[in-house]
Amino acid sequence: MGYEREAGGRGMSYLELLNLAAPEAIIALAALAVLAADMFALRELELHFRLAISAMISCVGCVAAIGWMLALPEHGNVMGGIFIVDPLGQLVKIGLLVLTLFTILISLESNFTVHAGEYFALVLLATAGMMFLVSTADVLMIFISLELTSLSLYMLTAFDKRDVQSAEAALKYFLFGSMSAAFTLFGLSLLYGLSGSTSLEQIAASIRGPRLDPLLVLALVMTVIGLGFKVAAAPFHLWAPDVYQGAPAPSAAFIASGSKVAGFFVLARVMATGFKGAEGSGAWHGYLPGWVPLLAVLAGLSMVVGNFAALVQTSVRRLLAYSAIAHAGYMLIGVLAYGGSGLASLLYYSLTYGLTTLGAFGVVAVVQQQTGGDRLSDFAGLSRRSPGLAICMMIFILSLAGIPPLAGFVGKFYMFSEVLRPGSPGMGLLWLVVLAIALSAVSLYYYLQVLKQIFVAPSPGAGTWVSVAPVTQQVVLGALALAVLLLGCFPGWLVQRLAGAMAPG
Amino acid sequence: MAQLPDILFYVFAFLTLACGFLVVLNPFSTNPVTSAMFLVLTIGSLAGLFVLLHAFFLAAVQILVYAGAVMVLFLFVIMLLDLPAEERRKVKKAGLVLGLISVGAILTIMLQSLLQSSFSSEAAPTLEGSTIPLGRLLFTQYLLPFEIISVLLLVAMVGVILLSKKDLK
Amino acid sequence: MTPLNGYLLISALLFAIGLAGAVTRRNAIVVLIGIELMLNAANLNFIAFWRFGPQPEAQTGVIFVLFSIGIAAAEAAVGLALIISIYRHYKTTDLDRIDSMKG
Repeated sequence: MGYEREAGGRGMSYLELLNLAAPEAIIALAALAVLAADMFALRELELHFRLAISAMISCVGCVAAIGWMLALPEHGNVMGGIFIVDPLGQLVKIGLLVLTLFTILISLESNFTVHAGEYFALVLLATAGMMFLVSTADVLMIFISLELTSLSLYMLTAFDKRDVQSAEAALKYFLFGSMSAAFTLFGLSLLYGLSGSTSLEQIAASIRGPRLDPLLVLALVMTVIGLGFKVAAAPFHLWAPDVYQGAPAPSAAFIASGSKVAGFFVLARVMATGFKGAEGSGAWHGYLPGWVPLLAVLAGLSMVVGNFAALVQTSVRRLLAYSAIAHAGYMLIGVLAYGGSGLASLLYYSLTYGLTTLGAFGVVAVVQQQTGGDRLSDFAGLSRRSPGLAICMMIFILSLAGIPPLAGFVGKFYMFSEVLRPGSPGMGLLWLVVLAIALSAVSLYYYLQVLKQIFVAPSPGAGTWVSVAPVTQQVVLGALALAVLLLGCFPGWLVQRLAGAMAPG
Repeated sequence: MAQLPDILFYVFAFLTLACGFLVVLNPFSTNPVTSAMFLVLTIGSLAGLFVLLHAFFLAAVQILVYAGAVMVLFLFVIMLLDLPAEERRKVKKAGLVLGLISVGAILTIMLQSLLQSSFSSEAAPTLEGSTIPLGRLLFTQYLLPFEIISVLLLVAMVGVILLSKKDLK
Repeated sequence: MTPLNGYLLISALLFAIGLAGAVTRRNAIVVLIGIELMLNAANLNFIAFWRFGPQPEAQTGVIFVLFSIGIAAAEAAVGLALIISIYRHYKTTDLDRIDSMKG
């Protein structure tokens, strides 16, 4: 009987699967533990303790998962690409867990919900989804883990049940998200039809010759719509400003950081592995159809839309949202540098961007709790109200703007030089890099606008002199700012690790 | 009698598209209940197409899960909220036209690429009793996705309870 | 026209119908129903490709649809819960009236 032989032959891989996927399993178990603890033991306690205990369990889970991952073998592939382990993926997963840790820590002082257990459980399950997303080369798994992540994030967006904007943002996020999921599914179905398989390598093997099958182009476009939504690239960005503004601050921070890192990694993997052979060319005078020109157009559009729309924003959260769209444009340029260590530069950029934007949202959360709003005017005189917070915000904002020696500058420099490296497939994309640099100069205006409010504008009356931020918040934000500073001054540490993980072996 | 599947194909195809059309654009009613009921019919005729494609198990799942569970959920929520029919007011013409143009463009591109592409599609050999290998695959090759789906359902459950429950203060 | 092309044609049309509904209708529930149609169109694609594909015995297409039906069910539940929670605030599910944020 064929079935028995098949099952028998794969018998060993169950144990292997359990070992390799243990970090994800630990995260899922931690989520269950948080839920159970909240249900059985913590109900009667004060919210502050519930948050602290749930967060502690979650953090233990994250740390345990990181620890397990360090002990794993460097390479693994179970069930024909359904779950793969490679050094780069492991690094990204560790990065995701670190981002989750910080998200949990900046949620510690939040007061938007009384459901502490459910909140942290959903954060953890979203993280598990992102980790699965990073460690697969199969479109079925990509779709499922994308949905796991998305569903958790919709919930996290809607978590503040008293707030109209939270519910509204979640509904918009959900409607745009599930529509783009439908596009993705349709695109994947065409890919399956063309290749007869769901494995990215098999799909790439079915692409032959320079002339692309029109259905392949259709599949490509539809897949890009789905993933473009996930990373908030224009013109699929319409949800982002509302979600960043309406969602509870820690949720928005998580969506802007973790989900973006995972999204870009999987976008790069799908494009470089699944559509290998369908690159085309986006060079100024050498256009060829393929995914490179498609993403180049999206990159240009995102940078233009993001940077110019950010200029007129008065809400800091919306400003950060449009700046995130612009950054998605920069990172798409990194996806185009797919050969060599291009992917390493993209990951350096997205990880440091994740840390930075997490910090920025953390500061916004504190300010919003103290002043009740996130308008630019609410930040007026922050440097006198709480100098520590102001300095942290300055570091985050300057890093987002790409000022040396912060991580944002190093990331941009590294990524653009990778694209323009001789022999890189993105070599013809000089026009895009020039556009990116020009628009970065434009972006300085709105970033400095925020800093002007913080450091120059007078504090609005003595009535708003509030006590400084809670100590835990200050420590966490300080740690984030320090990380951004150190990663900028000594980028070699992370870059070498990423480039080393890229090396074949 | 070899013609019967062909005739059924056209019948189900017509039903699917006609009911699908009535879901989104019903000239007689804009009541969400009507949309939902026509969605049930669309799902049913799709299940018929699944049977013609020899995916018997999926046809059953389609009826049980979609027409049974999901649609009941839809109807339940519509009734719970007691939604009125969509008002016939001045719709934003620009948005409507823009939407229809983009849909038309997407459809044109889809049909064009369909007609241009060449599939070597000979009718596959008849497949019978495909449920057993399906079950085996689900617990061997596709064990991990299966487990992830269970986590996903947990997320949906936790989230839905949390969102739809009234907070007792 | 080969049988496969027939099925693909139906699914493309169904997808377009669903998209048109999702884009033009203003009731959030009907938008969600339109999205369900789009997902179903993709499912039909998978099964048609499985049936007429090179290796139907691998069952990949069927498995994919099985998972996709499960996901669609979860998604519908989540969507309806979000609609209920927005209804609590606005007493309507009309998307044109749900616009407290500008920009």
